[in-house]
This record gives sequence, C-alpha cells and structure tokens, in this order.
Amino acid sequence: MSSARPKILIVDDDADFRESLAVFLESHGYAVLHAPDSEQGLLRARLERPALILMDLMMSERTEGCFAIQQIRRSPELQNIPVFVVSSLYDKAPDFRIPPDRAWLGHDEFFPKPVDLERLLEAIRRYLAGAGAAQAEAQP
Amino acid sequence: MSSSPAQTVPAPSIVVIDDDPAMRLSCRKILAKSGYRVESFEDGASGLEGVERLKPDLVIVDLKMPGISGLEVISRVLEADPSAVIVVITGYATIDTAVEAMKAGAYDFLPKPFSPDELRIIVQRGLERRRLMLEARRQELERELLRRRFVTFVSHQLQTPLAAVHQYLNVLRQLEDDSEGAARRREWYERCLKRVEEMLALIRNWLTLSAIEGQCLAQQRVPVDLNSIVASVLEECRALAEPEGIRLEARPAPEGCLCLGDPVCLRVLVENLVSNAIKYNRPGGRVEVAVQPVDGELELSVSDTGLGIPKQYQPFLFDEFFRVRQPGAAGKPGAGLGLAIVKRIVAELGGRIEVSSEPGQGSTFRVRLPAAPSGVPEEKDRVVCPAQNSHRG
Repeated sequence: MSSARPKILIVDDDADFRESLAVFLESHGYAVLHAPDSEQGLLRARLERPALILMDLMMSERTEGCFAIQQIRRSPELQNIPVFVVSSLYDKAPDFRIPPDRAWLGHDEFFPKPVDLERLLEAIRRYLAGAGAAQAEAQP
Repeated sequence: MSSSPAQTVPAPSIVVIDDDPAMRLSCRKILAKSGYRVESFEDGASGLEGVERLKPDLVIVDLKMPGISGLEVISRVLEADPSAVIVVITGYATIDTAVEAMKAGAYDFLPKPFSPDELRIIVQRGLERRRLMLEARRQELERELLRRRFVTFVSHQLQTPLAAVHQYLNVLRQLEDDSEGAARRREWYERCLKRVEEMLALIRNWLTLSAIEGQCLAQQRVPVDLNSIVASVLEECRALAEPEGIRLEARPAPEGCLCLGDPVCLRVLVENLVSNAIKYNRPGGRVEVAVQPVDGELELSVSDTGLGIPKQYQPFLFDEFFRVRQPGAAGKPGAGLGLAIVKRIVAELGGRIEVSSEPGQGSTFRVRLPAAPSGVPEEKDRVVCPAQNSHRG
C-alpha cells in the first residue's frame, strides 16, 4: 500500500504560477491540487480536504483571497487547514497595505511573490510534520 | 425618507468684517436681499474666529480697522485656506493699501462709497471664482486618487508576470536534467517569453496613454485613408487571430471617403479595437471591421462574435484598468488600458464612441469620426499609411 502524498491546494488565478509551483512541490513529494479562483478553491478544499492551502490574495477581484480565507475560517470542516498567503500585493502598494497579521487576515504564514521556495518548503514541512500540533498552532 | 421635490444647495455664505456698524448693517441687508447667508463681525479677532467656524464662501474685510488689521486678516485666512476668496473694502485714500492687499492674496477691492449693485457684482464674481477654485481642488484630489490607483494596479500588473517568470526560472534551476525535463524546459521558456512580452505591452500602453494625455502623440488634422489603415492593421493582427481560428473581415468605405484626423492616433485606435475583438472572441469566431459614411461623418465599426459585455459593466468599459470579470474572460493578458486609450483618442479626434453588446453573442464598437471635405484629393495630398507601431492594448 503506497503512502498517500500529502495534498496541497494552490488557489491562484495565474496559471503559470500554479504550474511551476506545482512541479516544484511534486518533486518534493507532495500532491498538488489547482484552483484558478476562490470559488473553485473552496469547492476543492471541501471535496479533497488538503493538508495545506496556498492562497493568492488578488485574483480577478481585488480582495478575493481575503474573503476566501474568511470562508475557510468559518467553515467547521476547513477551519483547521493551515493557510499560507502568497501575494505580490504587499508593502509597496500605496493604498492597499496588508498587515501580515494573523488576527487580521486569519492566515498562518505570509509569502511575498516571488516566493522564497526554500522558506516555503521549510514552512510546509513544519506545518505538516505533526498534523495535530500544526492544527493547534493554526488556531487564531 | 422622501426627499422634498425642490432640493436646493445651501445659499452661499459670506462673512463681513468691518468696525463700522453702519457698514456691517448695510452689507448684511444688501447681500441678504440677494439670498446669501451673511454674518458680520466688528473686528479682526472675532472675524477670524467666525471664518474658521463658518468656513464661508467669501470674506469681505475692511482694510482700516483697529486691532488686527485687514491685511493681517487676509494673510491669516489664506493661511488656513489658500483658496479663500477675499474682497477688501477701502477708503479712497487707501488705494495703495488696496493694491497691497491684492498682492497679499485678496481677490478684489471695493472703494467706499459703493452702491448696492457694485457690492453685488463684486460678490457675484467672487463667488464664481470660489466655485471654480473648489472645483479645481476636487479635480486635483481626484487626480491624486487616480494616480495612486494607477500606481498600485500597474505595480501589481508588472509584479504578477515577473513573479511567474521568476518562479519558472527558479524551479527550472532546481530540477533534474532528464528527458522529461528538457521538454518542460522548452515549454517554460516559451511561457516566460510570453509573460515578458505582456510586460512590454503594458509599458508601451502606459506610455501611449501618457503621450495622449500629455499631447505628445503627433496630432495633425489631415485627410486620412481609414480603409488602408484598417487593411494594414488586419494584416498585422493575423498572427494573433490565426491560432484561435478567428476570421478577420473588412468592409471598406467607398473610394474617396477620407477621415479628418491624425494618422498615428487613428492607427492606434483601430489596433486597440481590433486586438480586443480578437482577444475576447470565441475560437473559430469572426471580427468584422467596417468603415462607412454616415450623416456626413465616417463610422468605423468593429464587431466580434465573442463573449459579449454584460449591461452592468458597460458604463465602466472605458475606465482605465477595467476588465470585465466573467468566466471565460479570466486569464486574458492585457492591463485593461486599451479602451481607455481608445476613449482618449476618440475625444482628441473630436469623435464619439458607443458600444452595443449581447452577452454570449458578441459586441460592436461604433466610432464616429469627422470626414475630410468631400472630393477625391490628389494622390500627393493623401497620407500614406503610417508605419506599424505597437501601441496595442
């Protein structure tokens, strides 16, 4: 019986971004699910129960990612899944500043784009290592 | 809560500062009769307080007052509100001071004695000036807001493809070199090039838009053969249309129908409309570009068999960075500047544009442009079709 690869869901409207990240993660032993927008992201999350979600913030709607994370935190079956925000909207925008503050956004880690792949890998390992411990940590 | 049928803007408010009670009274009476709201003060100190509290549309101040002088009042009022409109009342003997007051920033002066009409006229002019200054300030704020939105959006628009290219290269760097890897490597190089081209197009559009705004784009008013521009643009766009099997068709105007305008701008206009029609089309669809004389003008229409534009988005279509959000439209490259450029050009050319669209069926953009005076011009007067520039949106 093969051990199931942990599933990671990437929610991002940029197909190129999803593809290269997927190949990277797969080469490190993860199974990757794709969603091009928050609606499909939430659907797949409910269906597949990934171990981790990587969420873009600005998709076709400016704050799409933020609302998606809200939904995840409100939903009993999804709220314990660690969510990493991956976004280029950070720091330099004059009128849309996101404090990478868990209390505000409800995420677990923040990765600006372009992504530091080593740091991402390390964080993924840390969160998935002890699923129970990671869940406890992910509580807001 | 129902609104009253005659909802009026509050009457303009005026502050009068003068130590002479008779002057204060007569100003109040005259101005109140004209429907203005007036409050008066007997000295500079209370006057300044009043101005700060009431924020009037106009201030009338006597130059010669004990205590805080009229000139001092002017400078303090302007310090608080640089767009304040101030009228000074002067005695005949203090005309020099009046000039000084103007230099200090007063709008106008009224020598005593003055008639009610004289007062009313000067107040009217002052209020008009106030209205214009407030309008200018509002526009400035709007521009600043737009500039910020522009900066945010553009930076995101550039960061997105850059992040994608960066990640492709970063991951490629780490992967094993095997046969599967080689094929993937080639595929990803193509994708990187595409994203880089997207960034270049964005920058070009940016520059085109500011060139039009800054009026740097060449602007002549000459007879132009729109048919030949259309033919040339369609030829140029064939590479864009072919992969999706989209047919490009032209319905040119009769020979001799020329447009009056700037050839470069016209080309950019046609390029943007056609490339949009191709981009937002369905595979195997059709783009038709027609030019025809209508009511003494020329009408250029570009229609596609694409996704169509839902009615609720149509008012925003020509806004900078606006892109229709609907399934099927996702993932289209382009910053949404194309139609903003089109709108700007149409305005510059003295034309009009309208769009009609049925969701699921397609859209037609119709542009009315001034026609060149009739009669087939000599060959030497015709403008040769300008060289291809990519100002595409």
